[in-house]
Amino acid sequence: MATLVQVENLRKEFGNVCALAGVSFRVEAGEWIAIMGPSGSGKTTLINILGGLDMPTSGQAIVDAIDVGRLDESGLTRFRAQKIGFIFQQFHLVPYLTALENVMLAQYFHSTTDEKEAREALERVGLGDRVEHLPGKLSGGEQQRVAVARALINHPKLILADEPTGNLDEANEETVIQLFHELHREGHTILMVTHAPSIGRLADRRIAFAHGRLAEVPASSKTSP
Amino acid sequence: MFWRLLWKLLRGSSGRLVVAILALVSGAMVISALLNLEFDIERKLTQEFRMLGANLVISPGHDAQINGAAPAALMNESEAFAAIQSLKDPAVVAAAPFLYIVERAGDTPVVVAGTKLEELPELEPAWRIEGQWTPSRQNQIPCIVGRNVVRQLHLALGSTLLLSYLGKTTQATLVGIVDAGGAEDNQVFMGLAEVQRLAGLPGQIGLAQLSVRGTAKNISEFAARLAAALPSYEVRPIRQVTEAEGDLLNRIRLLIGSMVVLILALTALCVLATMAALAMERRQDVGLMKALGGSIARIVALFMAEVGVLGAAGGFVGAILGIELSRWMGQRVFGTAISLRWEIFPLTIALMVAVALAGALPLRLLGKVKPAVIFRGE
Repeated sequence: MATLVQVENLRKEFGNVCALAGVSFRVEAGEWIAIMGPSGSGKTTLINILGGLDMPTSGQAIVDAIDVGRLDESGLTRFRAQKIGFIFQQFHLVPYLTALENVMLAQYFHSTTDEKEAREALERVGLGDRVEHLPGKLSGGEQQRVAVARALINHPKLILADEPTGNLDEANEETVIQLFHELHREGHTILMVTHAPSIGRLADRRIAFAHGRLAEVPASSKTSP
Repeated sequence: MFWRLLWKLLRGSSGRLVVAILALVSGAMVISALLNLEFDIERKLTQEFRMLGANLVISPGHDAQINGAAPAALMNESEAFAAIQSLKDPAVVAAAPFLYIVERAGDTPVVVAGTKLEELPELEPAWRIEGQWTPSRQNQIPCIVGRNVVRQLHLALGSTLLLSYLGKTTQATLVGIVDAGGAEDNQVFMGLAEVQRLAGLPGQIGLAQLSVRGTAKNISEFAARLAAALPSYEVRPIRQVTEAEGDLLNRIRLLIGSMVVLILALTALCVLATMAALAMERRQDVGLMKALGGSIARIVALFMAEVGVLGAAGGFVGAILGIELSRWMGQRVFGTAISLRWEIFPLTIALMVAVALAGALPLRLLGKVKPAVIFRGE
């Protein structure tokens, strides 16, 4: 398998606070990685840098042979549109757009919209009968499934999920995790931040963070960092 | 998708955008009314000033001569009017010759003006007349008499006025009593031919007065052309009228221009305040759009289009209301409706779109939103 993500001595400082203190690891294409650790340990900062939402203070974050830290604003925009699919804990759907339009929004910023494809993406996550619903009319689990459909619509190289089940009840959590299983089986590369050890154990490998450093690489991991 | 997004943006923030659109409609309404007034003010003022009477006078020049004799205070009637007619200018509303002599009515001397009575209603529209301008029966020698003369000679409509001049006499019937509020109230107006006969000056006039439609500049230009056609006479605009007209026009235009600028600025400020609040609400959406790969240009273009639509809609509705407002203002100020000027519509809409875009400065700052900062909740 080829390396899709390569993180080398990555540092991120917010003023005097060091969020990431020289982190290094690799992720192979098709892997499902669970990033774990307590609050404030640097998990979300890592996801943000890998997704081109934030810039590192030093070190390298290379995704699909692109050094994210070297991209300018327009380069980051293209990178996010073409390489990354985001899934957030808070869903982050546009409240005045329907489920279908939220998915098409990602298409619009990527290239051109294709309503048929967007409908198919929603059908795939079990929301074929909810396409015209506004987010406010959907349950938390349904909103997160819309977010999954939106993340997949542009066929990204890397799916970055930040606590995707953090706001869901048990039943909805199970539905969303099933979706991640399917994505993994299809060969998608997934980096998922989670607090839940039960979910972390479903991943191929766990990367644990503490105080901005790698704290534990479980022996059950398939590949070495 | 762009238009779909635009429509959803407008619907999604309709509550807050109502404030902005109200400001735009109000601003557009007043601006359109003022612009309509401004565009029509010249015509209206010209009409108003024409009420003041003649604005151009042809008089004998300093070196004018009659029949080769010494310089005289008279002009050749046919020469002067042939020149006026040769210019074929539709701006000439009325033109009347005048020959003044002092006749006697009994023992009382009275100034008699020989003129074309039928030209007087157009030449002096502000004169108030009791009776008629012209006779109803053709076998009379009609005259119009100033109210002071009527009072002094104890005359009434239909009275016969016996006038004598250097041994010649004429009997005129009083067909109208004029109240001009000036020297004309002390005069008698008769047909020019009859006065020329009494004075023994056939074909001669003392001066000609014209009422010419147009701005002060138009009148001066016409006067120059007429002067070129009548080199031995003096052609001059009546300066008090033309200068007062130009001066008033400039002052009204300055006032309207200042008000338009002020209203544009106030409208922009109102839109700015609304958009600043909207920008705060939209930070989350913009952060998300950028995270999804939306470029700054594409996102800002979406918001600018939203504001542009608001400006155009506000401008259109405001322009319609403004036309009605200008009609009302025209009635109040000038007593007649201001004419509708269609160019007001695109101009008002363009101004409102420009004002809305200027007021949307806070939305442009959304381009600087950092998604990670937004998602951290900062």
